[in-house]
Amino acid sequence: MPAFLARMPAAARDYSACSGCSLCLLVCPMWRSRHDPGFSPEGLAKALQCGATAAALAPPLDACSLCGACDAVCPERIDLSGMIMDLRRRLANSPLPDVPRPALPDDLHSRLQQGAPATAPVAPRSAPVLLPGPALRADAALLAQVQALLGIAVFDDDGDDIALAIEVGVVIPPLRLQSFLDSLRGHSIVAADGLLLRQLRRWLAGSQRMGLGAALSTRAAVRSNLGAGDLYVIEPRAFHADYERMVGFYDRLQRETGCSFNLDLQRIAIPAVAPGMAQNPGFAAGDEVQAKWILQGRSPARIVVESLADRAVFGRVCDLPVVHVAELGVDPQMMKEFRHAFG
Amino acid sequence: MIPRVEPGTVGPCPVAADALQGIKRQQTNPARWNGAGWQAFADAVRAAGVELAEGAIACGVYLTDAGGTAYGLPHGVVIARSAAQISVLLKAAQAHRVPLTVRGGGLTTEGESVAFGGVLLDMTGMSRVLAIDAAALTVRTEAGIYWHSLAEELRRENLDYLSAPLNLTSSVGGTLGVGGIDVNSARLGCSADQALSLQVVTPTGDIVECSDDENAELFQRVILGYGQFGIITEATLRLRPYTPLSMHYYYYSSLRTAIEDLQMLDSNDASDYSGILTIMDCAVNLLVAFDSGEREAAFRKNWASRLRGFGEFGFALSMAGHYALRPWKFREALYLLQRKREVFPEFRRTEYMRDGKMHDRSVVFSRAVWKHWGSRNMVIPDLATPADRFIEAVERGNAVCRKYFRHYTLYCVGIRLRPDHGPHYEMSCIPPAAQGWAYGCEFEPMIEGGVYSRDHFQSFKNAIYDIGVDLGASYYRFGGMMKGYIRRVFGDELVDRHLAMKRRADPAMILNRDVIF
Ligand SMILES: Cc1cc2nc3c(=O)[nH]c(=O)nc-3n(C[C@H](O)[C@H](O)[C@H](O)COP(=O)(O)OP(=O)(O)OC[C@H]3O[C@@H](n4cnc5c(N)ncnc54)[C@H](O)[C@@H]3O)c2cc1C
Ligand code: SF4
Ligand code: SF4
Repeated sequence: MPAFLARMPAAARDYSACSGCSLCLLVCPMWRSRHDPGFSPEGLAKALQCGATAAALAPPLDACSLCGACDAVCPERIDLSGMIMDLRRRLANSPLPDVPRPALPDDLHSRLQQGAPATAPVAPRSAPVLLPGPALRADAALLAQVQALLGIAVFDDDGDDIALAIEVGVVIPPLRLQSFLDSLRGHSIVAADGLLLRQLRRWLAGSQRMGLGAALSTRAAVRSNLGAGDLYVIEPRAFHADYERMVGFYDRLQRETGCSFNLDLQRIAIPAVAPGMAQNPGFAAGDEVQAKWILQGRSPARIVVESLADRAVFGRVCDLPVVHVAELGVDPQMMKEFRHAFG
Repeated sequence: MIPRVEPGTVGPCPVAADALQGIKRQQTNPARWNGAGWQAFADAVRAAGVELAEGAIACGVYLTDAGGTAYGLPHGVVIARSAAQISVLLKAAQAHRVPLTVRGGGLTTEGESVAFGGVLLDMTGMSRVLAIDAAALTVRTEAGIYWHSLAEELRRENLDYLSAPLNLTSSVGGTLGVGGIDVNSARLGCSADQALSLQVVTPTGDIVECSDDENAELFQRVILGYGQFGIITEATLRLRPYTPLSMHYYYYSSLRTAIEDLQMLDSNDASDYSGILTIMDCAVNLLVAFDSGEREAAFRKNWASRLRGFGEFGFALSMAGHYALRPWKFREALYLLQRKREVFPEFRRTEYMRDGKMHDRSVVFSRAVWKHWGSRNMVIPDLATPADRFIEAVERGNAVCRKYFRHYTLYCVGIRLRPDHGPHYEMSCIPPAAQGWAYGCEFEPMIEGGVYSRDHFQSFKNAIYDIGVDLGASYYRFGGMMKGYIRRVFGDELVDRHLAMKRRADPAMILNRDVIF
């Protein structure tokens, strides 16, 4: 068959391919809140075409929430969030004295150097494992519900130092990364952090991975409790990281349950919070504009969220009941058995 | 006649990057403003509290427009925030004779929204929807908003605008100034005709509300006025209830037959949406679509059998027969096959369909356009003619496309005219002789990574525009073309009358200079 008739997945391109179509701007929360093209993926790509340095672009690089919506819509297939992470890395590692740098948690570098403490593996190779991330780990009850629903062990090294390093542009020591990836190889992975999931797609090509929200919503116990009155808030990073597949996945969920989503007309997930880099290490709250925009003109009976940060923000902007998707599938009997199994 | 050179400008430079050597027609904004008075202007606007950004990074986003053939940088950029801010800016621009270029989505293709020096005003900073009146079916919005952002807000209320470019990133203000053609324009008219009233900042900085009843003359000049007579800052637009649409495609191998069928449908109000999209002149796709089951049923009963196009399968068979007898055209056949594989699925992507209906036509078309037609150069000359001259215009334009490019697309739609809007249409994209409907055709070469000289593009455009002069047509994308053609198309008397109005309204001739005049 001639090459042009074969449907080859096209390779990602860089900023020089930007044609200025502005489609990325429409879905970018950073642009939505400012209406300044300098704060948009297009603005960044164009500035780079004009020779801008990472330091000159620090404010938009800081403000980007790495939601990945721009990647999903760019017709030129530019890896825009990859471009932004790359620029953040350049910024964080610049030798120049007056380059603005993000405030990092004090212990990030030492954690990256030391890695996770070596413990006996919690699950045999090929068994599914959960990378819960710090927010879910801090909520023991919810974590137990997640584990019960998925029948899955928490992986001892959940790579939250690596996730944070990716986010803020800190270089990950090769040994640390290698040991993390080696320990994950062969497992099916469920990750709460969409950005980490995105990177794992590249680092562990061929492995089975899924976002936490999507994994939970495959469970019959969850699906049977979703209905037409529910506004289901998809976590954007995991969604956009595997966009083509996830659009189909959530379409099926909608057909089956009748719930509605935080999707716009282009079928892009509107983030409920869009914190810039400065807010992320501490998981501080972003502003509430996005959550209000999701709710505008809608009157759901309940909000179902995949991400804990979203639960907090909806709790602030409306009086509706807000539940985490794991809370839909709680079965006391299952919890009992599960606690027994995993301790 | 020696062209009048505005104070503060220097003449066209024959060796500049955007000079069109060997081509007599001028490109938009050929004259470089020499920068005199910039610093005093910048100081004045900053002192008045206007944020003015300078430097390559701030200005670089605006280096070119969607056409990607005209490049220029402003001295500085202002992001529009309010009519009051724009008023300050315009007053200072008049006083210091600094050119001001307004930009909405920047989807022009001739450099009309590119600033060659002076200040660029980015209207997308004014993107708020101000009030939706669901009972009266109207919306008041800031004019920098993209039609798609407006649609997002309207859809939450189960409402829709009437018609807008099939492009997600054209702005309301930019479109009201140039036209706005949708696949429902044969029924609902162009976007510019759906504006009920506007807030405009005049070139001298007055903030004025205008409509057919209030300051009607300003309204007539600003609508379809290519940004010459004022900056649209707010608009009240008509709305309609939202409906998803069911789309049908008919395939033809003859442009003439397809256009005859299109015009037959339009004149009989047989469909809610209609248009033609082609792969060269080989596969001509007539699309018809409906807002309701009743309209669709009436079409099936009364009109479907009168269409001479094939269904997809029938057309594939007829093409197979055609190319089997013409084996020397196998490359063309392969190309058609490739385009079919790539493009057809875009119009049926399941994520944009529900129960077989298309949920947002602009999303589907715009994404397909940028993915399969878009590139850093978009050269899209067009012709707008009265209905009875349209077939000839398209056939002649098609021959020009064949001469200049291997592959291209034609896009044809009807535009229903409002009899009471004659004054709006004067010296606009609506051809003077059109009655009832005008018809527009875009001639869009597929660049496909190819490298063409700017002269090649310009010669192609001129060959298309010459057809327009010959047929008494008009053009959608005025801009650079218009400067060269305006007198030939409309005649000196009309152009001079408008030029005199422009000089009265904009004494320093600073607003969107060199686009039309
Ligand atoms: C890929 C592609 C597809 C297209 N498809 C269509 C289509 O289907 N139908 C259609 O009708 N058109 C189409 N167009 C043309 C384009 O949509 C129109 O030119 C568009 O409506 C212009 O809007 P804009 O906001 O991009 O204006 P701009 O390009 O930014 O500006 C257009 C002109 O208006 C002036 N202007 C901008 N904003 C204002 C304002 N607020 N007040 C006064 N003057 C202003 C500018 O100075 C400029 O002269 C297409 C163009 C491209 C590149
Ligand atoms: S990742 Fe999200 S916030 Fe960042 S540029 Fe892209 S769309 Fe905007
Ligand atoms: S979507 Fe891609 S090509 Fe279009 S403006 Fe954004 S970065 Fe550029």
